[in-house]
Amino acid sequence: MRYVYYAFLFLLLLPTTVRAQATGSLSGQVVEARTGEPMPGVNIILTELNRGAASDLDGNYTVEGLPPGTYTVVSRFIGFKDRELTATITADQETTLNFQLEEDLLQLDEVVVTGQAASTEKRKLAANVEVLNVRDIEEAPVTSVDQLLQGRVSGSSVRLQSAQPGQGALVNFRGVTSVFSSQTPVIYVDGVRVDNSTGTSLSLGGETTSALSELLTSDIERIEVTKGGAASTLYGSDAANGVIQIFTKRGIAGSPTVTVRTEQGIDYPVSKFLLDTGFAFPGTTTDPDHPDFGKTSFIEDNILETGHYQNYYGGVSGGSANLTYNISGRLQNGDGVQPSNQNSLYAMRGNIQAGVSEKLTASFSGAYTHSNFERLNNGTAIADPLTTFEVGDAYFFSGADTFDEALRLFLLPEIKESVNRYTFATTVRYSPSALFSSSVTAGVDSRDNEQRVLNPAEFDIISGDDSGSLDRFDRNFVAVTLEAVGTISYPREGSITSDFTFGAQGFREETSIIQASGETFALPGTEDFDEAGTIDASESRSQVFNGGIFFKEQVGLGDRLFLNGGLRLDGNSAFGEDVGLQAYPSLGAAYTISEESFFQGIRDVISDLKLRVAYGQTGKFPTAFARDVTFQAVSFRAESAPRFDNPGNLDLKPEKTTTIEAGFESAFLDNQFSINFTAYTATTKDALFNVPEQPSTGRGTQLRNIGEIENKGVEAAFNAHVINKRNVDLSLGATYGWVENEVTDMGGAADFNVGGSSVRAQQRVSEGHPVGEWRPTTPFDSNGDGKLDDSEFQFLGETPYPTQTGSFNVTLSLYRRVTIFALADWQTGARVFDWGSHWAQFNGLERAPRPTRHDLDGNPILNSDGEEVKFSTTQSGVSLLQDGDFLKIREVSVRYSLPRSITNRLGLISGSIFVQGRNLVTFSRQDLVDPELAGLTSGGGLQLGGEQSITLSPPRQIRIGIEIQFK
Amino acid sequence: MRIRSTNRLPEINIRFDIMNTFHNSLARLSRWVLLGVLLTTLASCDFLDPTGVENPRTTDEDLAEAPEPTAALLPGLRAQFARAVGGVVIGTENASDNFSINGTGLGGNEMDFPRDIVPNTAVVNSTGQIGVYWHLQELRALADFVIDGIAPNDDTATAEQRAEAHYYRGMAYLMQGENFIGVPVEEDGAPLPPADLLGRALTDLQQAASLAGGGEFATRAVAAQARAYRALGDGANARTNAESALASGGADFVFLQEYDENSVDNGPNDYLVQRSLQEMQPLPSLDFLDPKYVGDESGIPIAKAEEMHLILAEVALAGGNEGEARTQLLNALAVTQGRPTEFLDDPDERLDNDLNERPHTATITVAAEAGRPFKAGLVLDRPGPVDTPSISGTSVTDADINGASGTALVELLYLMRQEILFIEGRRMHDLGIRLPVMLRELDTNPTINEGDPVTQVSVPGYIPGQNELDLYDPLILYQDGALIATEVTIRHNMNRILAEQRGLVISNPMLN
Repeated sequence: MRYVYYAFLFLLLLPTTVRAQATGSLSGQVVEARTGEPMPGVNIILTELNRGAASDLDGNYTVEGLPPGTYTVVSRFIGFKDRELTATITADQETTLNFQLEEDLLQLDEVVVTGQAASTEKRKLAANVEVLNVRDIEEAPVTSVDQLLQGRVSGSSVRLQSAQPGQGALVNFRGVTSVFSSQTPVIYVDGVRVDNSTGTSLSLGGETTSALSELLTSDIERIEVTKGGAASTLYGSDAANGVIQIFTKRGIAGSPTVTVRTEQGIDYPVSKFLLDTGFAFPGTTTDPDHPDFGKTSFIEDNILETGHYQNYYGGVSGGSANLTYNISGRLQNGDGVQPSNQNSLYAMRGNIQAGVSEKLTASFSGAYTHSNFERLNNGTAIADPLTTFEVGDAYFFSGADTFDEALRLFLLPEIKESVNRYTFATTVRYSPSALFSSSVTAGVDSRDNEQRVLNPAEFDIISGDDSGSLDRFDRNFVAVTLEAVGTISYPREGSITSDFTFGAQGFREETSIIQASGETFALPGTEDFDEAGTIDASESRSQVFNGGIFFKEQVGLGDRLFLNGGLRLDGNSAFGEDVGLQAYPSLGAAYTISEESFFQGIRDVISDLKLRVAYGQTGKFPTAFARDVTFQAVSFRAESAPRFDNPGNLDLKPEKTTTIEAGFESAFLDNQFSINFTAYTATTKDALFNVPEQPSTGRGTQLRNIGEIENKGVEAAFNAHVINKRNVDLSLGATYGWVENEVTDMGGAADFNVGGSSVRAQQRVSEGHPVGEWRPTTPFDSNGDGKLDDSEFQFLGETPYPTQTGSFNVTLSLYRRVTIFALADWQTGARVFDWGSHWAQFNGLERAPRPTRHDLDGNPILNSDGEEVKFSTTQSGVSLLQDGDFLKIREVSVRYSLPRSITNRLGLISGSIFVQGRNLVTFSRQDLVDPELAGLTSGGGLQLGGEQSITLSPPRQIRIGIEIQFK
Repeated sequence: MRIRSTNRLPEINIRFDIMNTFHNSLARLSRWVLLGVLLTTLASCDFLDPTGVENPRTTDEDLAEAPEPTAALLPGLRAQFARAVGGVVIGTENASDNFSINGTGLGGNEMDFPRDIVPNTAVVNSTGQIGVYWHLQELRALADFVIDGIAPNDDTATAEQRAEAHYYRGMAYLMQGENFIGVPVEEDGAPLPPADLLGRALTDLQQAASLAGGGEFATRAVAAQARAYRALGDGANARTNAESALASGGADFVFLQEYDENSVDNGPNDYLVQRSLQEMQPLPSLDFLDPKYVGDESGIPIAKAEEMHLILAEVALAGGNEGEARTQLLNALAVTQGRPTEFLDDPDERLDNDLNERPHTATITVAAEAGRPFKAGLVLDRPGPVDTPSISGTSVTDADINGASGTALVELLYLMRQEILFIEGRRMHDLGIRLPVMLRELDTNPTINEGDPVTQVSVPGYIPGQNELDLYDPLILYQDGALIATEVTIRHNMNRILAEQRGLVISNPMLN
């Protein structure tokens, strides 16, 4: 069995002997060249020995136990150029070597891991890998990683669901590559695959909770993002959506350093897209004595509220040269911006690195997160107070006489969810010599959530159950990851270098969902199922294993040109029986042309230029068990009643996306400006379609590899260091992404819908059109008289997701004490289906304007009262598709670092006070529906977003906090 | 577990670089880290079995090992028949004049505009509870699987089990033959016209009757044959089977399809009683019959004595024997009058799409059409307690029957069929409306192309336009909750129109 191999490999690595010998040590300080400030966390590496240390908070470092000799010592820190010096170590002596580091916009020497098999400098990468470093992460007033990605990754679309707690974003890189599955990239934390599912709860109106919401941003050191293609090839059948790899913070050697951070905040509701149109209903304005008479605002005055937020973080970090640790805890609580949105979060994380010997290190990271939150019915649910008060007749739906009483009824349901999540990762690295290094990583991510929905008997007017009901949704997820990698680096020096990496990686996921509902409770107050008159339960389970081996060869020519080729071979339990191992090849070249002698003449203008081109395949494995012929029984009148389930497909295999990309990374004018540009084309073949069987077979749909989808686009990041003075430092940045998508072949399958409204505006999959292109009913002018006279479904040429995205950011540093950061992000090209206006129309309100109907002679059609008749929303679904363009001032933060005179007096290493704001201003072309929100989702399958009912926009968040560090 | 491996840990020859007491402690800790790493890895290994996935559902391989596969699959056929009956009732009643649609629970009110029905119309194209086309196809396909794929190789399959399977397949064909323009019955097959579907229904129903050996399914199969022969226009065989069903089933026999509130519940009940969106609203003249199914598990009549008498009456009328027809109608009336009612505290407010109040006051009288007398007792007070028939009910009296002749007698037959077979999925067939295939059939079956007859709804010319089948005058009856008009006139008396323009179904079955 494979695991025996892993265990054997692991045990082989353990028996390591270290011989005693006379040694010396190396120490020194690292400072920033421009300011002279000490720099903590800088890696100092003796290249020949493959040993090193990280600088402490004062910038000091020490490496002990070094054999005498002369060594190359390299300093590495994110955002700064590598600096290479030589040190001679003498036995029983301490050698001093200080470093001054210069900033580097291009960061070609930054080391990345994701998709590379072994740590690799960016200069060697043939495909684009983006890195968010600790500074990006700390300045962001966000809780979870998905929010962090907004505006920070070029060519990405990150759209949140709503402001209700527990939800996650729809994240997409480089367009939609599949029509059957989620587009969320796979996520690894310290090398362990973690749950990235959306739809982990009952929707209660379209909005579900997401496993992304507990991927917290605290204690993250670095996030690497690959967006599919060659950079993700080594992840094989799992990587077509791209890979996000999160590295947690490690301890820095030294005496224990304590970090304490407290944040207090206020969440202000955003009511821009809530128009209080519910007042248009008769009954609210007719009786002067009625308590609601004369009211023009109810949602803003009575439902939305200002929420309090608090967050407390404490951590301790330190250790010896042989063992470092970083341990932290966090408490967070928020009220939300509408009733019943309380949320609290408790998190612990520990990270320990042990240098067992100079050749063997072991690391362990573990995290536990417990989250509790409440939610309301939402979106399309009639029981959603926002929807009802905005577009419905609250009196009618609630049976109440006043809005206040109606609201009291709508707030009766108790919807609570709790999540327990454990993530553990262990890695052992064994590097017997500079020529060979290896590592084994094992880890587990386990996420259990329990959602309970209690509708008390008094809610019967809306729930229809006059004796109460209780629904429960339990989802248990566990993923185990194992990886073993070895790299042979020979030759390591000279004009030609080679790194050959080989390894095996596998994961197994198990998901179990149990749903139960109990109805008819004799007495109020009970929340136990066994007291229900009737109990109904169901469960679903899935298991999937994916395992593969991979090889990668990288050849360096003169440390400028790097050629690489790789291959991953994958087996997967979801592949059909007639399908063997699947191969994913990659090829690429990276060329730092600016280091060529012929380039030196123009380096005053172009400081650095790296060209790259890459070809690579990634895959997406089918749904677990979709290959099997199955029957499914339900309980029917005390019998188990089977019916046809899955038709089965012995040839089921992954869909494969082949990406060809080319680009450059360049810096200009003495590293003051940089551009990172990539153009790509990605073709998904054998795309999986849920092909409907003929109704005459009585069978449903079957996943089949029949389609082809193309994405092409560009992504770019710009940075400029505009002012670089000791007391004023100003940097500007921008990202841009454009993607064009087309379903080029449907393999004969019929068009189908993947979202929207089937009779008003469909998210359609059709050959020659983008995935999910809107196909609404659209009144048209059939005889060219300028008068709209009939309606039919027509493709609109626009999609539920954006075709262009981008962001701008500004960082201003004043007197090295005050840092001001601002981020805005935008999207264009999307249309958003406005369910709210549809419900309004259904209830007799015209919230979104509809066109007037004409006959073929161009005369307006009149009703019996002689009034012009408008197209209904069914006939003019296009009137419900709103412009999805937006620009949001996403973040503004100001951080003041206390001067040493104060910190010294207080006994602190450092201290800072910060004020942060998020979701501050929204610019949109319409105010009917928030274009950012991905809105309605459901578990599993493809989620394109772009349809939204009445819901909460992300609140305007203001945070004030203090962070101190002391020993 | 391979925990034994951890015993090797003390043998590892590791020298820790000890700097001071604190670091000494850390060094000891590093052993624990290593131990933790090892244990985690081993625990993971045991958990990770690459080949160890197991499909929690029954696969075809599992089914092959079932000791009594026919018996195991029959409950599935029963449940599917229940789904199919529910789907047919919801789909066809809304396309008829019996009900109009409010709310969005049925995918909008397209079914109220019969000429606007297309393969994509929600009720036609759904594979869910309301899917009229889908559920009949699945019932027939599952029965094919049992009859042709499983039972022949199953030594344990009994004649009764085979009879039941043939009955369900026969019923699928029958309901397809009554309600659709044409339906393919095998993969890549061309659509069969109604006469062929009904012919197949008869074959299966005859086999069912023969195999059942006089049991319940024999009577059910014979009663269904009477219905199939009526739909084919074969009066003689319709009469023979109707009489035979009455003889074997008893004078007031009824077979109900029961439901299960926790799985396959009574579909119409969801829209009739729970009515969270006021979905199915009856024609005011039928208000006294609504709701027929007051519970999630209420049974829907599949075959009953009244229907046999109504078929016998129709056969008699087709033969010009009005006296016999009146006798049979009186028999049907007598059986109907003996049927039970059920009490319900009905919360339904009777609202239309514009939130106007529909008739819900007992003082309202209703005329079948302009010029006809206003009849009392057809509208009940709601919301409030109501007592409604659970099997059959009618407003027709002995005097009405004895006083009618000619076209009026045919109209009366249609009225009695409408009332007695209310919400049993018969009315659309009587109206002559036939539904197209679902969109998925059009999309996937290579023999069907857009524009083919089976892709277009068939609505006879005598059916009024728009949604007028469901309309009545005046539409505004209440003002500020107070009744302002007590007389309601149904806009189109479809029973008279059918009597005059279609004649008897048995005489004009395919509207040629």
